[in-house]
Amino acid sequence: MSAISLHNLTLGYERRPAVHHLDGAFSSGGLNAVVGPNGSGKSTLLKGLAGALSPLTGHIDLDGADARDIAYLPQDNGVSRTFPVTLEGLVSLGLWSRRGLFGKITAEDRARMAGAFAAVGLTGLEGRGVDQVSGGQLQRALFARVLVQDARVILLDEPFAALDARTTGDLIGLIRRWPGEGRTVLMVSHDLELVRELCSQTLLLAREAVAWGPTAEALTTETLLKARRLSEAWADDPVICRHDDHDHAASAA
Amino acid sequence: MSAGLIEAAAMKSAAAGALSLAFGGAPLGVLLIARRMSLVGDAMSHAILPGVAIALLIAGPDPLALTVGALIAAFVVAGASSLMARARAMPEDATFAVFYLAALALGLLLISKAASADFTQALLFGEAGAFDHAGLILAAGAATATLVCVALFIRGFLGEGADPVFMRAVRAPAWALHLLLMMLVALNLVAGFRAFGALMTVALMMIPAAAARFWARDYVGQAMAAVVISALASGAGLIAASLLKTEPGAVMTLAAAGLFILSALAGPRGGLIQSLPGRPHLEG
Repeated sequence: MSAISLHNLTLGYERRPAVHHLDGAFSSGGLNAVVGPNGSGKSTLLKGLAGALSPLTGHIDLDGADARDIAYLPQDNGVSRTFPVTLEGLVSLGLWSRRGLFGKITAEDRARMAGAFAAVGLTGLEGRGVDQVSGGQLQRALFARVLVQDARVILLDEPFAALDARTTGDLIGLIRRWPGEGRTVLMVSHDLELVRELCSQTLLLAREAVAWGPTAEALTTETLLKARRLSEAWADDPVICRHDDHDHAASAA
Repeated sequence: MSAGLIEAAAMKSAAAGALSLAFGGAPLGVLLIARRMSLVGDAMSHAILPGVAIALLIAGPDPLALTVGALIAAFVVAGASSLMARARAMPEDATFAVFYLAALALGLLLISKAASADFTQALLFGEAGAFDHAGLILAAGAATATLVCVALFIRGFLGEGADPVFMRAVRAPAWALHLLLMMLVALNLVAGFRAFGALMTVALMMIPAAAARFWARDYVGQAMAAVVISALASGAGLIAASLLKTEPGAVMTLAAAGLFILSALAGPRGGLIQSLPGRPHLEG
């Protein structure tokens, strides 16, 4: 069962691709990992899937999902730690897709919020300001917001960076449940051990797809070496990509 | 009517106007400071100058014409700079700097051609007597519009401030909210500039908001604290100015600055006294 498919997808900035010519699909049957060296285009891919970046060429088929059905947790969360808002206020932003600017917050919404706080282990800290919590507590709150969003597609960009083992363990417990609830989950991670344990499918990126399939097959010594070699090749003076002249010409026409 | 009575009536008008500006400006100041946009208000206060100057050239020193001119200029600068920031992915403060410096230069050029030195002085420092009937209605209107808009759109304003990246991801109308905020700032500055001067009006918006951070944690608390501080500064400033026989704008600003220092010393949230070294720390 595939929920998101990529068709000759190229994403980048100012015509320079960060990742190009991706063809394939992410399954909603299990967790999907996106792995690759720094600068391999992982975050750019998630940004593209979240709709924050338009493809240079190719397209993304979200199987009918739109921005409202996507929960995106970027690597550098955009939370302004000096802004006078409580964790409760931050988590309640997860209701935006359903309630918008004026919609009434129902009793059901409040119950969902309380449930999310309980699930991430932050019950009792709802009234803390975002300037009064640790990095781990903030990340837990952002997961609570993902829970409140109740999205069909969940994109996590290095969700466990700088978290201790206990917080990581708690959050992994949440993530494991999502495929069973029919959600498509993509997770960027550098922790290969964790990926092998948690994710059934893996996309190995090095500005292009080096391997994409069952995790054990995608992450071999050979593919990982190839990924590292590819990612180090970055031209200062790039020429026009001729990877697939026909497609480029077709999309230009 | 004796001179004393006229003075008392003018004082009452000025106090009513200042109180209106406190209710309008303070909630906006808190939003701007929390979003690290405290210079935007400053920029906006310069940006209204060319509008005032053009109105002066066309209609002479007619209060209504000056107000309309200022309002148009502020809206044009707010709109143009946020459009630019949106279209070219430039940081808002950078585009604002460009637009307001250009507006300031144009304004100064026009005013030096069109106006007397007295007029320029009044523009920068204000005349409390400017709170005539129309001036008071404008100030009260600005405060009402601000409170109604902030209340209606509070979810959007707080979301934009707390996590703009998230708001973009869920397709919140970030640009419209931003433009609305800028328009409200412009409206309040225009309502105040004739009485207290362009520069001093922005001071009464930002300084109480900065001081409010020492008194409350959440937005509503800070906004209420800022209103109270702004009203206190205005009241003290008006009384002191009448004793000193000077225009009140600058005195009110100094009073606000004094309250800021008091807040920084005695405020319960990060005030100096509260966080003095050597005080025993709490258990949890």
